[in-house]
Amino acid sequence: MEPGGLKNVDTVEIPAVPVFSWSVGNFMEKFFDGLKDGKLMGIKCPKCGRVYLPPRMICERCFTENEEWVELPLEGTVESFTIAHVKVGDDGELEDLETPETIGMVKHKGADTCIVARIEGLDPADAGVGMRVTVVIDKSAENILDVLSHYVPC
Amino acid sequence: MEKQVAIVGYAQTGYGSYVDASREILVLEAAAGALRSAGISREVLDTVVTATNDYMDGRTISNMRLVEPSGAWFKDESKVEMDGAYAVLYAMMRILSGDHDVAMVIGASQASVYPTYIPGVMMLDPTFDRERWLLNEVSAGALQARAYMDAYGATEEQIAGISVKNLRNAAGNPLAVRRMPVLTVDDVMDSRMLYSPIRELNAFPPSDGACSVILASSEKAEQITDNPVWIHGVGFSHDSYLTERPLDKLGSLKQAADRAYAAAGISDAKDQVDVAEVHENFSHEELMAYEALGFCGEGRGSALLESGATKMNGELPVNPSGGALAANAACAAGLARIAEAALQVRGEAGSHQVKGVKTALAHGQTGLCAQENIVFILGGE
Repeated sequence: MEPGGLKNVDTVEIPAVPVFSWSVGNFMEKFFDGLKDGKLMGIKCPKCGRVYLPPRMICERCFTENEEWVELPLEGTVESFTIAHVKVGDDGELEDLETPETIGMVKHKGADTCIVARIEGLDPADAGVGMRVTVVIDKSAENILDVLSHYVPC
Repeated sequence: MEKQVAIVGYAQTGYGSYVDASREILVLEAAAGALRSAGISREVLDTVVTATNDYMDGRTISNMRLVEPSGAWFKDESKVEMDGAYAVLYAMMRILSGDHDVAMVIGASQASVYPTYIPGVMMLDPTFDRERWLLNEVSAGALQARAYMDAYGATEEQIAGISVKNLRNAAGNPLAVRRMPVLTVDDVMDSRMLYSPIRELNAFPPSDGACSVILASSEKAEQITDNPVWIHGVGFSHDSYLTERPLDKLGSLKQAADRAYAAAGISDAKDQVDVAEVHENFSHEELMAYEALGFCGEGRGSALLESGATKMNGELPVNPSGGALAANAACAAGLARIAEAALQVRGEAGSHQVKGVKTALAHGQTGLCAQENIVFILGGE
């Protein structure tokens, strides 16, 4: 039997949109406070020395609470990138972008983890792994998550 | 592990867009089909494990109304909120505990019902990545693809070769969504660009569908069937969040495979495995899987593909069903790899049957950029 063989005649829309208010947690708050001062703050595992950026409370490798804050350089290296020709629209489907944009995964010297953000100020065709970029901080951003705005080539 | 738990039945629905079918019908079809395949009635089942997702089903405790169509009424019933491949491990453990003899596992979802790419966004860190709205399953997969290409020199055309192999194979699988017997590398390269280097035909087709597998203890398995498919080994490993691990290799798949191989007594996978069903959400992930599974050396995935070894008539065919690029119902896609591997061992795969399969490998994954991986080694008598 085709699965469609026994049909529901009608479909129903379920309009409920769940909205959550997440606490960003003490560590992310300190990270955002640092950004507002123009600083990029990561956190170091006291056991293995791994530096997490954005900061994480626990080093999963050592099962230890991280505690030592370290200031990291604003410059970083593109570890990987993609040129986005689409985005996820409000309906959850992929819709075409008018202008493709570059999304980079950036590692800052001294950090062991990466930040994913847009890379602006370049022709997407010029993007490459190993490229040096600088983080652009927008202290006036309305949404705290937008303070780390994007990267530009060095 | 020697002949402790066996697969004794399985069934899949066709995959596609069944927006006008209820999920209960999909689950009923897979469950009833698996019981028919095993030649047993609902009464023989001791425990039922469903693999569904609350978000995709649009309700909390997504399994609560699946009791009826899965045949679980008045039985021991529980749920794994991951791919059904992990539910097989859980069901196997329930049998090994000695408390149960026969277990049914069902994985199901309907991409035509939920907002397709939102569940992937919901997997992200909610205090940073999710709200930035740049990462999702496909863009994360693109970062993984680029990292792999940069590390090992694989080209977009070589990666497209996986889509060509798998979607041509799918022409022999009547249940697949994408059945493309004459697909070429150029066709893949010309398909809609999503997130470079991933084009539409490099990415999984979100599908509706359900898959069911029935497991039994050795004693029960031999009563139920003359052709039990034994689970000789299983391995499972969980890696870090995607921005906190190397994306150019599948570390947790390698670890899962090594554990499964140790349990099954496999020292040379390429020599000892006759067919593999790999859960590749994107074509580059199959090349990465070749390396993690030890079918070839690190960085040699493209060379293995180009040697023809993983084609239908090769030394180690991979994804004769077409894999997850040919049909991909979340929660059922990895479980379907197990059902397909069992089909191959039993010689029941029809027009996508590989000749002389004694040992089969099945792989499932969950999470962004294959964060968690599970590997099963199956074999006949």
